[in-house]
Amino acid sequence: MSSNLVYSKTMKIKICITAFFILIFTSCNIAETKNSNIFRMSISTEPPTLDWSLATDGVSFNVIASIMEGLTEFDEKLNPKPAIASKWDVSGDGKIYTFYLRKDVFWTDGKPVTAYDFEYSWKRLLNPQTAAEYAYFLYDILNAYEYNSGKIKDPELVGIKAISPGVLEVRLKKPIVYFPSITTFMVTFPQRKDIIEKYGDRWTEPENIITNGPFKLTKWRHEYQLILKANEKYYNGKPKVNTIKLFVVNERNTALTLYETGDLDMVSLPPEAIPSYREKSEYKNIPLLRGYYYGFNVHKKPFDDGRIRRGFAMAINKEELPRILNGGEIPTDSWISKDMLAHNPKIGVKFNPEEAKRILSNAGFPNGKGLPPITLIFNTDPVNSLIAENVQFQWKRNLNVEVKLDNQEWKVFLKRLKTDTPAVFRLGWGADYPDPDNFMTLFTTDSGNNNTGWSNKRYDELINMARGEGDREKRINMYDEAQRILLEEDIAIIPLFFTAQNVLIKPYVKGLRLDAMELLYLKKLKIERH
Amino acid sequence: MSKLSIISGIFLIIISLSAIFAPWIAPYSYDLQNPTELLQSPNLNHIMGTDRLGRDLFSRILYGARLSISVGIFTALSALIIGTIYGAISGYIGGRIDNFMMRVVDVIYSLPDLLLIILITVILGRGWISIFLALSLVSWVTVARLIRGEVLRLKELHFIESVKALGANHDRILFIHILPNTLGILVVTLTFRCAAAILAESTLSFIGLGLAPPFASWGTLANDGWGAIKFYPHLTIFPGSAILITMLAFNFLGDGLRDALDPHKKV
Repeated sequence: MSSNLVYSKTMKIKICITAFFILIFTSCNIAETKNSNIFRMSISTEPPTLDWSLATDGVSFNVIASIMEGLTEFDEKLNPKPAIASKWDVSGDGKIYTFYLRKDVFWTDGKPVTAYDFEYSWKRLLNPQTAAEYAYFLYDILNAYEYNSGKIKDPELVGIKAISPGVLEVRLKKPIVYFPSITTFMVTFPQRKDIIEKYGDRWTEPENIITNGPFKLTKWRHEYQLILKANEKYYNGKPKVNTIKLFVVNERNTALTLYETGDLDMVSLPPEAIPSYREKSEYKNIPLLRGYYYGFNVHKKPFDDGRIRRGFAMAINKEELPRILNGGEIPTDSWISKDMLAHNPKIGVKFNPEEAKRILSNAGFPNGKGLPPITLIFNTDPVNSLIAENVQFQWKRNLNVEVKLDNQEWKVFLKRLKTDTPAVFRLGWGADYPDPDNFMTLFTTDSGNNNTGWSNKRYDELINMARGEGDREKRINMYDEAQRILLEEDIAIIPLFFTAQNVLIKPYVKGLRLDAMELLYLKKLKIERH
Repeated sequence: MSKLSIISGIFLIIISLSAIFAPWIAPYSYDLQNPTELLQSPNLNHIMGTDRLGRDLFSRILYGARLSISVGIFTALSALIIGTIYGAISGYIGGRIDNFMMRVVDVIYSLPDLLLIILITVILGRGWISIFLALSLVSWVTVARLIRGEVLRLKELHFIESVKALGANHDRILFIHILPNTLGILVVTLTFRCAAAILAESTLSFIGLGLAPPFASWGTLANDGWGAIKFYPHLTIFPGSAILITMLAFNFLGDGLRDALDPHKKV
């Protein structure tokens, strides 16, 4: 017994020593975070790509928006204002935009940003070999569609021309009023021909990438962390925050714990946590121009039959969804986002379980019998699971149809959408610019982001006409008709709700701008002593 | 048998019966969502509260018991059958064949269980069958070792020699005279294996390789609740306790049976 006692004494000493070192170690850590000028936040996945011609998702765009800048940017009211372009002229017929570039904008390797970099980037986006899903973004430009679809081979015929290093001339097919809004978007940011040709696919790695924004990418430890450092050469002055650390944290609850222990400065809240934080000053709720929808593959059984699509759309009571999510989501039957031109809540298939059942039985599946097995596929995320489980139940309750669920990682899911589109899948769409055109072109035949396989000539025509229409009322009417085709006649998608952002931000973080387009503007960010 | 193991036995019988009769006992269906009663704490209507989609947790645990316990029992049984036959043959024949057969067991034994199970479920896809197969495939080796040892011991005993002298063939010796004598070990192993299989299935479901929703075993339920443990602890505590208590009961029962079936202790 006595030897045990002696042993436990040495143990105690050991514990004391260990505790002492742990204390020193942790206090060092605290000291580091307190005095340094670092902003730490989590991102929900690894960015699939940082090549802004190829990126299609919010995570990638948020990183790109911090390291790059384009011709224009949005002000707080979401109107385009000059960025790299100091001003722009529009010709009398509205078809020619001339952008005049600032002369004091430099790439991180010291070379000036020129109109040639824009010309290269835009033509790369349109080049069929790039296979950019966002190529349709520039279809308003003369011959852009023809070049992208392979009808003409010569990129010189496309209406993009750098007149001189400081002047970019863009010729459009027809007058487009919101064109300077398009140039705020990441896919229109300039690119360095020499860098991309030298490094190929690896040009976005931190050791190769050359950027012009407020921050530069210095480290990218895949599946773990991205580090951005303030860019001394940034033309608007070096940002006040030195370092931005983006941690890849898949689980929002893990991120929340990290926020609470002081390891993150900003975090997005999981739905079940929202009620507990709603009263706190750190809590921010920002309604977004973002729709959440279920898309059908209109070529896959059983959804190749429009009646079945209608039945399924009619059997979802969308009012149930915001109650589950708790974060200020707005249920919707129509597609164009709230707070946007042509938003019209009257459009869309309304919840009607009896009618849904009748439609299904008229289509040859009375009481849901005889349908082939259906699997609803979504990307792995607790919110998506909750919604999918609820919709699964609603379809069972209202249609007596058993739908299977399956989830996949974001990158795998995106690839699956392209190669083997599931019969029914989840997706969301956040505004790239605050104009209904952005929500509606998504489902045109040529849109790279239209995964439904659905195509309607009249719809394409309406969207095309509405884009150049100067008269507000006429434009709204066109969008109404187009929405009716998409949502009431053909039913390619079921809009479920408009989302909102629910975040916690530490009180010492100042100047962080979050807007309805979900973009983070980090350049005015300031970390106060804490 | 000790009181504890008798209580455990009774508890397991009750839980198995309630799993079998879940549709009659459960106050709600396992997938019934009530959007007006989300995330309720335990109350009179929902004695274990409701989850994020307004499903009654008590009912889900009852239905979950069907999956968890059936996986436990079936895996244990199949492991027992494969393991016993394999171990008995290996031990009885002995020599080179025994040596080879046991090295095969060693190889499987040396691979981490969880990794193998994950591999198998990934290949076979999600579902009851693949969980059952994966768990059976890794858990028979322990049984095989046990039985082989026992057979090695038994076959040297005098009564086996007498049987041999009387001219019994190998089948008869092995199946009529040796294996019945391992019954004690078998019953005890079965209970412990059940507990291990239930835990393994829960682990699998907890890391997201279990059944697809809306079906849920206890592991899945615990996993669903885990994310919200800070705000709604009842979602984790109840399924977690169900796993814990059932495991304990199986282990106590196993202990009790071992003592009861031990011939040396009886004297």
